[in-house]
Amino acid sequence: MFSIDFLVGFTIFMVALIAVASMVPGLLAGLQSSGIDYDAVAYRTGVILTEDPGWPVDPPWEMKDQYHKDEIERMGLAVSKDAPNILLSTKIEKFFNTSFFDPEDYRSKVIFGEIPYSYNITLRSRDWTYNHKVGQETPEGYGYIRRVVKIKEPSVAVIDEGFKNQYTISPGDNSITRTFTVRFDFNRLINLSIDPAYRIDPRTEPVNITITNFTAFLNGTASNATLKSVTFRRGSSSIPFPYDKNDTDYYTLRIDNSPDLYPPEPGVGVSSNISLVLKPAATSLFELGPTSILDIQFTFEDPDYPHTNITGIHYYDYNTTNVTRPALKPAVLEVAIW
Amino acid sequence: MVNDSGQLYTMEGVAAGLVMLLTAYLILSTTSIYTPGDTHIPDMQLEQLGSDVLAMMDTPDTDGTKSDLEIFIGTNNDTDFNSTFLDYCNMMASDTDTLHMSANVTYRGEGDQIEEYLLVEPDETWTGRESAVRVTRWVQLNGNPPGIPSDIGASRPRAVLVEVLLWRA
Repeated sequence: MFSIDFLVGFTIFMVALIAVASMVPGLLAGLQSSGIDYDAVAYRTGVILTEDPGWPVDPPWEMKDQYHKDEIERMGLAVSKDAPNILLSTKIEKFFNTSFFDPEDYRSKVIFGEIPYSYNITLRSRDWTYNHKVGQETPEGYGYIRRVVKIKEPSVAVIDEGFKNQYTISPGDNSITRTFTVRFDFNRLINLSIDPAYRIDPRTEPVNITITNFTAFLNGTASNATLKSVTFRRGSSSIPFPYDKNDTDYYTLRIDNSPDLYPPEPGVGVSSNISLVLKPAATSLFELGPTSILDIQFTFEDPDYPHTNITGIHYYDYNTTNVTRPALKPAVLEVAIW
Repeated sequence: MVNDSGQLYTMEGVAAGLVMLLTAYLILSTTSIYTPGDTHIPDMQLEQLGSDVLAMMDTPDTDGTKSDLEIFIGTNNDTDFNSTFLDYCNMMASDTDTLHMSANVTYRGEGDQIEEYLLVEPDETWTGRESAVRVTRWVQLNGNPPGIPSDIGASRPRAVLVEVLLWRA
């Protein structure tokens, strides 16, 4: 005879057994390979470095000094969000500056995450002019990503004897001092129709003015002309330039292939060339906006008679005869995380 | 004998049978834990690299010029395409990688047929365990590229798809 007791008891027991048995697969699901985790972190770090300009982006993070280092939230090397894989040389130099950043900075501003990862980030250009490394030596196994990039380098305006006719005084000019101006018209420079990979922005990149073959600009029998001063003007007002020859982070002025650096008022004779590099650390303090006009004036004055006939305004713009923008340089960036 | 005391034996027997079946299933199912996800990471790294290389080849080095990729496809220059591509993707910070590639170009033929022509022949290397990955990029051309058969008709602006197969060997 069937016993209700037996059936009920057996049913409850079977239901309980089936429920426990169905939980068994969950016990085995705890397998996790930590190797995949490192690859993901390396990939994310690679994206931040190659596709992100960093934060803050304007004024850019690479302009922050030691006292404002905490304001840097993220270090990215890309020229802009619209130009991925094109890296800016000034960001690269700042990023690999290990006397400015310590390992904790790299972890918190590039790699992120709660675990203190070990890292090795290297960047090498195809022609080996960039060969930077930061981090420790890689062990046997590590998470890895490799990105191919191009590096944007600063432009240079070369004024040589080809410009002699354009930049010589008119015959009736009897002034004692000669002034040669290089003009940065930001209305022309900040041109959004130009791809960010080829844009000139003195506020984020160094600008280089090189006057060569200076003998072509000398007057008659003069062997050199005295460069009295290099001054900066914004529109009609002059900009104070409180730096001296040792402030190489702000500018460098070289004359006649000499290895020496000169102050903004050198007072020495120039016979072959002048090379002025104005760096963004100085330009970013000039309070320049998208409609500003920055003039750099080279003033020549000699006690007896003007030794040079140079004059005029050279526009630092996108005209390829005025300014040479170097070709983008192919490079490879590798990130290892472990 | 059929009486009430057999009920306990029945339950015991069923439970024992279930335990034996469960154990046998567990043992059989643990022999091969192969997760197909294992190959996703090397594939992703290679695909990102190939995609980067095509993007950089498609970026002109100076403003206003044509990119290398456009020039190579437009002149059917497979040797330079091959050497530039491999140069970029085998470049490492302190070493050289051993990647190989083959490429073809897909275009729209007569009567809207999708056709392709071979740009770079694959070399006779074998990849082993790692898979090959495929990366693509669209290229805009002003006329028919030389690789297209000439009976296709008049030259007109065209968009073609460059497809590169990339593997490590």
